[in-house]
Amino acid sequence: MTVTKVVEIPLVTTEVPIGPQHPALHEPLLLKVYADGEEVIKVEVNTGYNHRGVEKLCEKNTFYRDIFIAGRVCGICNTVHANCYVRALEYLLDIKPNNRARYLRVLAMELERIHSHMIINAIMAEIVGFETLFMQIMLDRERVMKAKEILTGNRVLGDYMMIGGVRRDIDEVKRARIRDLLVKLKPRIEFYKKVFEEDETIIKRLVEVGLLKPVDVTSHSLVGPVARGSGVRIDSRASDKYDAYDEIPFNVITRTEGDSWARMMVRWDETLEALNMCLYILEKLPADGNPVPDEKRLPRVIPQGESYARVEAQRGELTYYVMSDGKSTYPYRVKIRTPSFNNIINSAFMYVGLSLADVPVALTSLDPCISCMERVIVIDLEKNTKYKLTLKELAGGRV
Amino acid sequence: MSSKRDLFSKYAVKVDLVKPKRTVFIIRPENVRPLFKDLIEQHGYESFYISTIVGTDLPGEGKIRLDYYVVLLPEEETIVVRTYLDRNNPVIDTLVDIVPGVFNGECETHDLLGIFFKGNPYLKRGFFVSLDIAEKGIYPLRKDSGV
Repeated sequence: MTVTKVVEIPLVTTEVPIGPQHPALHEPLLLKVYADGEEVIKVEVNTGYNHRGVEKLCEKNTFYRDIFIAGRVCGICNTVHANCYVRALEYLLDIKPNNRARYLRVLAMELERIHSHMIINAIMAEIVGFETLFMQIMLDRERVMKAKEILTGNRVLGDYMMIGGVRRDIDEVKRARIRDLLVKLKPRIEFYKKVFEEDETIIKRLVEVGLLKPVDVTSHSLVGPVARGSGVRIDSRASDKYDAYDEIPFNVITRTEGDSWARMMVRWDETLEALNMCLYILEKLPADGNPVPDEKRLPRVIPQGESYARVEAQRGELTYYVMSDGKSTYPYRVKIRTPSFNNIINSAFMYVGLSLADVPVALTSLDPCISCMERVIVIDLEKNTKYKLTLKELAGGRV
Repeated sequence: MSSKRDLFSKYAVKVDLVKPKRTVFIIRPENVRPLFKDLIEQHGYESFYISTIVGTDLPGEGKIRLDYYVVLLPEEETIVVRTYLDRNNPVIDTLVDIVPGVFNGECETHDLLGIFFKGNPYLKRGFFVSLDIAEKGIYPLRKDSGV
């Protein structure tokens, strides 16, 4: 029998949009996934559903109003944003807060780290189908939200930082209440860490998913737990030693596995470290004066110059560049670079080769923060095939 | 560490400071790409990462200032590579093919300030700025943009 016909089966690429509204995503982001069968061959990260334009807004507002704008770039990491901006101004002003204020700042930021790491681990549990664990972690997270409320006056948006100090002091009663909440929380964190270490479902879904080599991390400028989960020791708390991080003992957590599981385990270990730091602060809180400066005495015009502050936010290195011309009460330039801006946009290469079901897991392991990222609209495309719609067009159904 | 700093010093025409203690190496725009090529060849990709790119419009001087904030590893020291571009023709060679981590920074700086990174195939107006502004040729972070 001779062959008279050859049937060629073309490679069919399926485009699977994940997001911007999707049960597996908790924030509006579109991952355009191109798959051959179940295998991912390309991913485009399309954002633009939260665009604001904060840098321009900062130029149009005074240095002092910008403290509150910085705190509203992101909800979950508002305290670190405000801290980073305030410290950039303090560098220009040559102001250093007293010890009590520096310790209280670290307390607020580490409480934020605890609840941020808990929420992303809870979301990961939900993504892999372990909803009971999600609810349990979220329930225990309420303890740290309460602690943050006692300290700053608010569960989420603390507005705690100000030039030269913080906005509220704490008394002995509040110290005892926060300590009590954290002491009760500690065994729960240890339990959740053990669950992530031992649970079969979590291990199967997370281990060796979304592998990142150290060279990929540095060449793509990935930061935070994403970098530390691949063995790259980047932690601006340890290197810049801002506020009281030079006096409060802590370990920089790194792992070498480089997968989604390692990134989540780094976060659990960092949660425990943060908890110990908070307990240390509550025990050793200095009493060298009022941490709340008199706002009326603070200078309105910032001296001419440039400063660049780094903070280790929950998601990684967050930076603020501030330039003052020394003439007005408005900054000449404010540049914000959030960790998600690097971690989410520059990591599209990581998804290639994964199965479709692993994409939300790998994305969640990066701890995406879309409101941080989308001060600008960013697209990761190999070919230029992108356009943007106005809200009106979107509402009209033109997609 | 000293050898990495020596490399930056080799290309620098001037050294400055950004608070707090961030050394600024001011270099010519045509030397930015060779500098990073040398850095990769001599010390490897794991010896640094580019943290952010900051563009600043300086209409009084007729220039746009471009800063690359580089973190040297493992010491985690932040240094700044600074260069100045002609405001009317802000062109500089891209780094995206040798340092993929600048992808977001170059795209952002292009769309907000109008800097053209020669050789970067991903640059496009309307990436960051809404289309109604981009279509008018406005770069919002320029001081005379009127935004």
